[in-house]
Amino acid sequence: MYKKNIGLKLTTIILGSLLAINVAAQNWNIPADQSAKNSSFPFNASTAKEGEAIFTKNCVSCHGNPGKGNSLKSLSPIPPDLAGAVTQHRTDGDIFYIISTGRVIMPSFKDVLTDQDRWKVISYIRSFNKDYVQVLSKFDSGKSKLVKITMEFDAKTNQIKVLVKANETTGVVSLKNDEVELFAKRYFGKLQIDKTNRTDANGLVVFSFPKDLPGDKNGNVDLIVSVNDDSYGEVQYQKVFKVGVPTNKPSLTEKRAIWNVLAKAPVWLILTYLFCVFLVLSVFGYIVYNLFKLNKSSDIKNLKS
Amino acid sequence: MLDQLKSDTITSDLLRHIRLNKAFIIWMGVLGISFLVCIYAYTIQLRDGLGVAGIRDYVSWGLYISNFVFFVAVSLIGMLMTAVLGLIGIKWASPLARIAEIIALAFASVAGLVIISDMGRPDRLLYVFIHGRVQSPIVWDITVVTIYIIISLLLLYLPLIPDFKICYDKLEKAPKIQRTIYKILSLNWNNTPEQQKIIKNSIRVLAILIIPVAFGIHTVTSWLFANTSRAGWDSTIFGPYFVSGAFVAGCAAVIIAMYFYRYNYKLKDYITDMHFDKMAKLLVLVSLVYLYFNLNEFMVPGYKMKKFDAIHLNELFTGAHALLFWSTQLLGLVLPIIILLFKQMRKPLPVMVVSIFVLVGAWFKRYIIVVPTQEHPYLPIQNVPLNFKFYTPTLIEILITIAPILLAIIIITILSKVIPIIPIHETLEELEEPEKVGNK
Ligand code: HEC
Repeated sequence: MYKKNIGLKLTTIILGSLLAINVAAQNWNIPADQSAKNSSFPFNASTAKEGEAIFTKNCVSCHGNPGKGNSLKSLSPIPPDLAGAVTQHRTDGDIFYIISTGRVIMPSFKDVLTDQDRWKVISYIRSFNKDYVQVLSKFDSGKSKLVKITMEFDAKTNQIKVLVKANETTGVVSLKNDEVELFAKRYFGKLQIDKTNRTDANGLVVFSFPKDLPGDKNGNVDLIVSVNDDSYGEVQYQKVFKVGVPTNKPSLTEKRAIWNVLAKAPVWLILTYLFCVFLVLSVFGYIVYNLFKLNKSSDIKNLKS
Repeated sequence: MLDQLKSDTITSDLLRHIRLNKAFIIWMGVLGISFLVCIYAYTIQLRDGLGVAGIRDYVSWGLYISNFVFFVAVSLIGMLMTAVLGLIGIKWASPLARIAEIIALAFASVAGLVIISDMGRPDRLLYVFIHGRVQSPIVWDITVVTIYIIISLLLLYLPLIPDFKICYDKLEKAPKIQRTIYKILSLNWNNTPEQQKIIKNSIRVLAILIIPVAFGIHTVTSWLFANTSRAGWDSTIFGPYFVSGAFVAGCAAVIIAMYFYRYNYKLKDYITDMHFDKMAKLLVLVSLVYLYFNLNEFMVPGYKMKKFDAIHLNELFTGAHALLFWSTQLLGLVLPIIILLFKQMRKPLPVMVVSIFVLVGAWFKRYIIVVPTQEHPYLPIQNVPLNFKFYTPTLIEILITIAPILLAIIIITILSKVIPIIPIHETLEELEEPEKVGNK
């Protein structure tokens, strides 16, 4: 009786904690404004197809194929099957937020995939839900074309100054209190510089730039600024500045090496190969010559006898 | 006068098998039909791609590559018998040299085809030559296999020149084309001292050249594996390990062929009990060397049991491949050595039976070398269908693997129907030699 009780209690505790974990897993604490976000383009077969390609490259290794239940079981928490009810009950904005920010094992894709790409993945995920009805963003994506960004480098203070304006028909307006991020383009992905800042009343935002960021051999760094405005959408602007430390790292395939193409094979290897082949060919030549001689020497003998 | 008689019997004895008989036609029919079935399997692979075989992303070298390594290995015997034994002047080996050379030629030339069976797009074979990189062992492998085939062909042909002349003279009943070909190939052989000298010189040069080439061919083949850092392949002794293993397989193949020729071609007086005794001793010698390399190959990493080596070795010693591993080691290597140490066991029949075990063991040993390593990559295997994780050959794949074996036997059979299997000229010469010495 007593034992049974313990067993019951244990089960309750285990079940309860499992439930708690489950609830925690489902609860991403998504801010209401993010939750209400929507794609500005309609989802269709072609966006889903593009989304599938992105999904195959970035997500399938953990989540498996939607609906197949073949996600990577060795992770904790186990990545959910994205065709499942839990995910499909979320709003598009929720999923967008989850993909963008990530959590512990689920990586953040904000700096890996563009907004557009993230929406396309969602389009793919939604293609597994027959009951899904898309809510389009009310926001006019054409407006983002009006945004004009200028970027300058102040060598004295080592700062990057970004000015964000929009050319409305009524005249130029400054975009105030907008989230702005600055990135330097690297070999793989983008590196965020300084913190995410907000524009001031004049549409100005200032980032302090590190003194030791490696650039190319002339010190050039490809900078990307990304502005997020509620009514103009996300706008990116890219410009090259000579702000990095000149770095001249020869590419690994520049010099002759074992791993390089044939034209850049190590000299000793080419010579060894050619020498061996030459040696063998000359022996073959000698043998062929011998065979000719053999043929001839019989003739002479025949004539004599 | 007596000698004339003796040499006539020898000649007719050694030429007797060059003819078409019923047994040959039936044998070739069976081989040919089986071969066609295998070729049909290959056409399926050509049409549907390599997916019809059991090889997948992780184990991408399966039966085909194991088979390739086996073929290259067996072909090495030509070098050991003609070059090494010939150059040291071991007399008993010379009647067997041609058998070894035929096996070498057949297996080396088929080895090239085996590689093609592992290609998903054989129509792009030419790209290997056009875009090959000298840094890749594969380019060296192709080069050296080609060279080895040519040298084997020459080493088969040169000693045959005088025999072709004999064939032309004596085989008057043979079809006219066959005789014409004998005549052309005999290059006006007239047994002049100068001709003899030219042949001797040429053979000697080739016999010297084939030694580094043969070592090259199998060392490079071993480097296809050893030049990667994977557990089970990452070994510094892979070169000699492969070469010594090759001699084991080759000796066994020659012994089996000897037995077959001795009984089917009635060559008891030429391939004698003594030859089987000596070949068995040679087999024991090379097997002991190979055993020694095996000891090093498994004992040294087995003592340390480094993380990834341990996964591999446990799989071999006690895991999924244990049965195959211990069978090849015990039935294919250790027991044959012990059995052949007894004089009574070095009679033709037991030697032949032991050799079959050795040869089959040698084949599976290649499988043990090639496949298990690939089942344990350094990065974990994730999110793949179950059949990616464990390699199971398909029926089509097995048929395509049997095809080259049949082809090699077909080549050997045909060759031994058109050329004397025991060098006639040399046998006669040896008969004269003691006399010459006596006259002086
Ligand atoms: C490294 C493995 C990994 C990769 C790669 C990954 N995820 Fe996740 N993902 C997870 C894990 C683990 C969770 C559960 C996280 C949690 O609950 O804390 C998760 C959760 C999610 C969720 C929330 C599921 C729900 O409804 O509860 C979504 C949506 C999602 N991932 C989408 C994606 C997309 C889209 C990609 C590719 C762009 C991706 N993930 C790539 C591991 C991964």
